[in-house]
Amino acid sequence: MRNADVVITGVGMVTPLGTTARDTADAWRTGKVLAGRLLPELAGTPMEDVSVGVLAEFDAAKRLGSRKAIKYMSEAALLGCVAAHEAALDAGLRRRFQPEEVGLFAGTGLAAADVHQVLPLIQESIDSNGRFSTRLLGERGLPATDPLLSFRILANMPACLISIQEGIKGPSYIFTPWEGQSGAALREAWQAVASGEVSAAIAGAADTPAHPATLVYLRQSGVLGGHDVPSNASAYLVLERAETAARDSQRMYARIESVEVTPVDGAGPDPLRARIGSAFAAAPAILLALAAQLSWREASLCGSDRCRIAFRLGEAA
Amino acid sequence: MRRVVVTGFGVVSPVGCGREAFWSALAEGRSGIGPITRFDCSAFDVRLAGEVKEAPDLPEPVAEVAAEDPKVGFAFAAVREALDAAGLNRLDSRTVLHLGTSLEIFDLSKVICGGRPDFKAAVGRSLAGGPRLQFPLDTAARLIAEEYGRPGESLTNCSACAASAQAIGHSWRAVRDARWEAALCGGFDSMINPLGVGGFQMLGALTTDNDRGPQACRPFDAARRGAVLGEGAAVLVLEPLEKARAEGKAVLAEVCGYGSSLDAFGLSAPDPDGDGAVRAMQGALREAGISSEAVAHINTHGTGTHLNDEVEARAIRRVFPTWERIPVAATKSVTGHLIGAAGAVEAGACLMTLNRGLIPPNPSLSKVAPGCELMHVTGRAARFDGEYVLSNSFGFGGQNAALIFRRYDGRA
Repeated sequence: MRNADVVITGVGMVTPLGTTARDTADAWRTGKVLAGRLLPELAGTPMEDVSVGVLAEFDAAKRLGSRKAIKYMSEAALLGCVAAHEAALDAGLRRRFQPEEVGLFAGTGLAAADVHQVLPLIQESIDSNGRFSTRLLGERGLPATDPLLSFRILANMPACLISIQEGIKGPSYIFTPWEGQSGAALREAWQAVASGEVSAAIAGAADTPAHPATLVYLRQSGVLGGHDVPSNASAYLVLERAETAARDSQRMYARIESVEVTPVDGAGPDPLRARIGSAFAAAPAILLALAAQLSWREASLCGSDRCRIAFRLGEAA
Repeated sequence: MRRVVVTGFGVVSPVGCGREAFWSALAEGRSGIGPITRFDCSAFDVRLAGEVKEAPDLPEPVAEVAAEDPKVGFAFAAVREALDAAGLNRLDSRTVLHLGTSLEIFDLSKVICGGRPDFKAAVGRSLAGGPRLQFPLDTAARLIAEEYGRPGESLTNCSACAASAQAIGHSWRAVRDARWEAALCGGFDSMINPLGVGGFQMLGALTTDNDRGPQACRPFDAARRGAVLGEGAAVLVLEPLEKARAEGKAVLAEVCGYGSSLDAFGLSAPDPDGDGAVRAMQGALREAGISSEAVAHINTHGTGTHLNDEVEARAIRRVFPTWERIPVAATKSVTGHLIGAAGAVEAGACLMTLNRGLIPPNPSLSKVAPGCELMHVTGRAARFDGEYVLSNSFGFGGQNAALIFRRYDGRA
């Protein structure tokens, strides 16, 4: 198969700098820095001083055009769906491509069940000796639990919800849980379009590291530095062949010349960290989406999994 | 493009650990399904699973993690067997490690402090060196890299029940296209824990037909009531044929086709027409460059749930006009559903079928359900001398994958 030029024709983002791709890029341009807040769930713990990125409120149901689907969504799924929908609309994905021609290449972060949803389940399952009882879990805990909880914790659900929402029926991959993996998802998308395996791809990631239990893991494993501000965030992009975009007079943000994911020996720079916070699995897609909008020719970051993710972009003809 | 062959296979499963034990149980239709012993499930509606009976022998750091997250130990043991079989003892920068799995383990008891759920106290205890609250899904890959060396790339795929089939398919393409010189690929999983079993019970995906014991998982049977969870791991070593021949390695089979698709239909129910499954199988056939008539055996996804079995049977009949002459297996009938590891374990069953000339039976199938008509192998294993076999994996949420393996003819 001939390798074709691949261009970015759609971007969508939800970050602490803005709840759309344009808002995020505008905020970056003007030098804005994320706001942080403390988590009440961690007050009084050794991590009470950890600050997390603040996402501005937005009406997800309005953005997605559906209130019903939201009840199945974890926060990661919600952020992913909103960003993917924005990117898909931007590129006219549904209007221009058959569902079978479009692939989905997603990254996702550490699992993050909502503490408030899980605590009642545990409460019902504690016996008279103060110990967790699986017998009581079966008798009282499970019946008291929202059956939709399973949908909110399964790691593939964010991507599946995107496929359903956007009507994507082509091939898919979901990689987890760090930057190198979601960088690989972007690389696979680029290669799948270039090789002709798919006509278009929607690729990106969502992550919610600002979840209390996740923060504990990040601290324990040494991933979370003293000054890091973890941020829940998402970015998705639509990639397609340059000739298709030109044929349809579709706006092209940039041409992707390369996506490289390479192992490195130690920590390295992450240009997003100081401005957007540590978005972990979502970071590579955010970086690419910013690069596409701000006409950067090169962009790279080093992930917490000792991988360097590097993009080279060219001008779209 | 290079031809790619399987030079190593390792497996940990409810019917046996190691490929010989695994295969003899499959070929004899011996079920690994029984009462859950891992925890007290007496008050659960679901009380059966396919548990791994032998704890793998593991080095200290892996054993420590596996004590809390058993699937990590299964992955490690399967990797060790696969590498041994392929005559490899290190991973290097020319190798990709790609494993599929489904979900992190959640141990609810860890957030109980002083007799009540107390997240803040649990945080303090955990940070003071107490139990970890999370084990990321790449934990197994990191421990494998620590023991065997860092691969050129490490990928963890979480596409539910299609995860490990995707891992194999993706790795096959990567070796075929010379992006990597070798791949260690497959999957590992265990959902046999209180929240795993409870979560699937809440979804209504599992059988509550506990009295049926070893025969509770009944793919394509009129009396099927749902899936049974299993656990384990399976890992394949893929290498270019030319290299395998040059090094005189035993070849288990050639990988020659992979298809992937999304249903975009529903979170828990498959597309009733089976369109997504059809596209995955057609994609694999197209990539293998063969017609549907060339496929001589299909290892079905066959979960034992009402909708899935009927939809899969319909999809197979659509893709294979000669379906009445293609014997099918449903190995989940004896292993249970290994979720993220299912595709790799069933790929392993296909490798063994090609090498041993037998198709394992579906021992719990006594009356084929209306709509599930296929050429089912029941009772005893069937003789097999075909060239191509296909393995289906369809994930919860609508992710589909199909793999095609070919008998290796010994020729370059």
